[in-house]
Amino acid sequence: MSELQKSGIFAPKVIEEIQAKAESGLYSIRGFGTLRERRWPTFDDLTFLPCSLTRIPLEGYREKCSTKTVLGTRFARKPIQLDIPVMITGMSWGALSYNAKVALAKGAAAAGSSNTTGDGGMLPAERENSRTLIYEVLPSRYGINIHHMRMADAIELTIGQGAKPGTGGLLLGSKVSDRIAEQRDLPTGVDQRSPARHPDFLGPDDMIIKVEELREATDWQVPIFIKLGATRVYDDVKLAAKAGADVIVVDGMEGGTGASPAIFQEHTGLPTLAAVSEARSALEDIGVYGEVQLIIAGGIRDGADAAKAIALGADACYIGTAALIALNCNKPIYEDDYHAIGAAPHACHHCHTGRCPVGITTQDPDLMKRLDVEQGAERVRNLLQVMTAEIQMLARACGKSDVHHLEPEDMAALTLEASAICGIPLVGTRKVFRH
Amino acid sequence: MAEIDAAGRSTREINSAIRRLIAESSKEITVRNPGARHNLAVAILEDVHVRLAGSVGYYCGGLIDGASIDIEGSAGWGVAESMLSGTVRVHGSVGSGAAAAIRGGTVVVHGDAAARLGVSMKGGTVLVAGNCGYMAGFMAQKGRLIVCGNAGEAFADSMYATICYVGGKIANLGIDAVVAPMDSSEAQQLEKTLSCYLPPSLRRAKPAAADFKKVVAGRKLWNFDKRDWRIWQEAL
Repeated sequence: MSELQKSGIFAPKVIEEIQAKAESGLYSIRGFGTLRERRWPTFDDLTFLPCSLTRIPLEGYREKCSTKTVLGTRFARKPIQLDIPVMITGMSWGALSYNAKVALAKGAAAAGSSNTTGDGGMLPAERENSRTLIYEVLPSRYGINIHHMRMADAIELTIGQGAKPGTGGLLLGSKVSDRIAEQRDLPTGVDQRSPARHPDFLGPDDMIIKVEELREATDWQVPIFIKLGATRVYDDVKLAAKAGADVIVVDGMEGGTGASPAIFQEHTGLPTLAAVSEARSALEDIGVYGEVQLIIAGGIRDGADAAKAIALGADACYIGTAALIALNCNKPIYEDDYHAIGAAPHACHHCHTGRCPVGITTQDPDLMKRLDVEQGAERVRNLLQVMTAEIQMLARACGKSDVHHLEPEDMAALTLEASAICGIPLVGTRKVFRH
Repeated sequence: MAEIDAAGRSTREINSAIRRLIAESSKEITVRNPGARHNLAVAILEDVHVRLAGSVGYYCGGLIDGASIDIEGSAGWGVAESMLSGTVRVHGSVGSGAAAAIRGGTVVVHGDAAARLGVSMKGGTVLVAGNCGYMAGFMAQKGRLIVCGNAGEAFADSMYATICYVGGKIANLGIDAVVAPMDSSEAQQLEKTLSCYLPPSLRRAKPAAADFKKVVAGRKLWNFDKRDWRIWQEAL
C-alpha cells in the first residue's frame, strides 16, 4: 500500500499551529528570529571570485590587510575608530541578563570593536567595560538619561529593527524583574509593550529636528546613527541621510529579537542581501555613498556573510544572534532545562520565557550564573577575531590590502535572484539580470 | 543677569552662548528674540534659570537635568522631552508631545496643550492650566498628569502607573483608562501642587482640587489575557 498523502498547504505543522491557536486563543510570541524553512535570497547565493590571472592575490597569512573601520566622518567631531568591521548590535539589559551584557561589552572591547546599549538604557557596568559604546535612543525611551548619552561614543536613533519593523519591543512579565522594572520606570511583572513610534516626532521632517537636538545635546562631538528595519530601504535610507545621519544602520528580516509575535518574524521585512543592495543604491543616487557610512545587520553568521555585505557596500556589520551563540545560546548543555521550556538545543527560540537554560536571556539570578562573564567575553572576542580573519582571508585572496576595498566585482551570483538583487553577473554568464 | 540676543543667530550659536555663560557661572540667563527656533536650551545639566523671552520651536528644554526654564511665549512639539529633573514653565500654549518621556521634574503650561501631552512619561509632574488635545497620557508609565481644563479624546490610553487629574470634561477615556475615587489627602496634595505652580489669578479661575476627576489604568493591558481579547483587539 502506498503511503497516505499529506497536504503541502496544510502540512502537519500548519495543522498543529491552527489547532494550537484554536485551543489557546493566543497568537504565538517567541524570540530568536525567523524560523522560515523556505529559502529566500541570502549571502549564500553569492560566491567570491578570488584572483587568478586577471588579478594578483596577496599572501594569505602574511601581507597586510587593514581592517580598521571609521564611522561617522560626515558631521561628528569624533568619528568612531574600530579595529575591525564587525560590531555588536543593540540588545537590551532586560532581554539579556546582566552577565550577558557585560560579557558582550568586554568581548567587543578586547577585539577592538563596539557594542550598543538597547531598550532600557545604559547599564553602568556596560560603560565601564566597553571600549566604544553606542547609546540607543529608542521609541520607548526607557531609561533615557542625558548623562549616559553624554558618556557614549555614538548615538543610535532607532526607528525600527529587522525582526519586527513597524512595531515596538516586547518584554514579557517573567523578565520584568524589580531591577528591570526600576530601570524602565514600569510596574514589576507587566508584559511590557514598547511603543512603535517615537513619542515626540512622527515623520522624516520632524526627525531632522530630532537629530539636531541630539547633536546639540552632545555638542556635535559624536556620530549620530539612524537605524532602520529593512522595509522600503531605498526611500528610507535617502530620508535618513537627508535627516543628517552620519551612519545608517539597515537591519534585515533575518535579524533577531528577544520576543515578538511570530507573525512579524516570519512575514515582514526585506532579506539582508536585498537591504544592503537597496541601501547602497540609495546612497549613490543622492551622492553621499562613502560620506554616510552604512552598517548592515540581520542574520550575519560568519566572515563570509560579513565580507559579502562589505563587498556590496557596507562599511561594517552588526552581529547579535551570532554573538549570543558565541555565549552558548542553543548549546547542548543543561538539556533538561531546554526540555522543561518546550525547547531543545539547536531548536531553542524561547528567549521570551526568561528561562534561558544558558543564562543569556534571563533575569533569574541562578540561571544567569551559568554564564561566566570572563569566559563569555573570551568567546565573544574569539568569534569577532575569527570573523575578522575570515574577512581578511577572502579580501587577500581577492587582492585587497584593505577589507573595505572588497567590491561587487569580487563576486558572482549563484542564483538569478541574487544577480537581479545585487547587480552581479550570474555564474556561467557575463550578464547582470537586473531590471 | 546675563543676556543673549538670539536675533540672526543659529540654534548652535545660541546654545553655545548659553553654555558659555553657564561656564562663566551665570545663574540667570535671558535669551531675547528666540524667534521660535528649535532645540533651544536643550540638555542643560546645571542649576540655572534660563528665560526665553518669546516663543520657541521643537524640543525646547529637552533632556535637561536640574535647570529651570521659563518660556515667555508658546512652545512647539516635545517641550522638555526626556528631562530628568528641573522645571519648565510655558507661559503660552504647547504643541504635541509636550513633556514626552520625562523621568522627573515639572512641566507647567499656562495655556493649552495639543495632542499626546505627557506621552510615555516616566515620572515627574505635568500641569496644564488650560485644555489638552487627543491622547494625553498615552502609554504613560509613572508620575502625575494634571489638566485643569477639558481633556480631548482617548485620554489616558494604555497607561501603566501614571495618575491623571482632570478639572473639566473628558471627551472620552482611552483604552483601559478608568475613573478612580480621590480621597481628601490626595485632594490636598493636588491643591498644593496647583497653588504652588500656577499664578494666583490662574489658580482662582480653575476648579477646586476636590472637584477634579482622577483617572488611572484599569490594569487590563498590563498582562496578556485572552479573556480581554476585545480590548486587545482595539489596543494592538
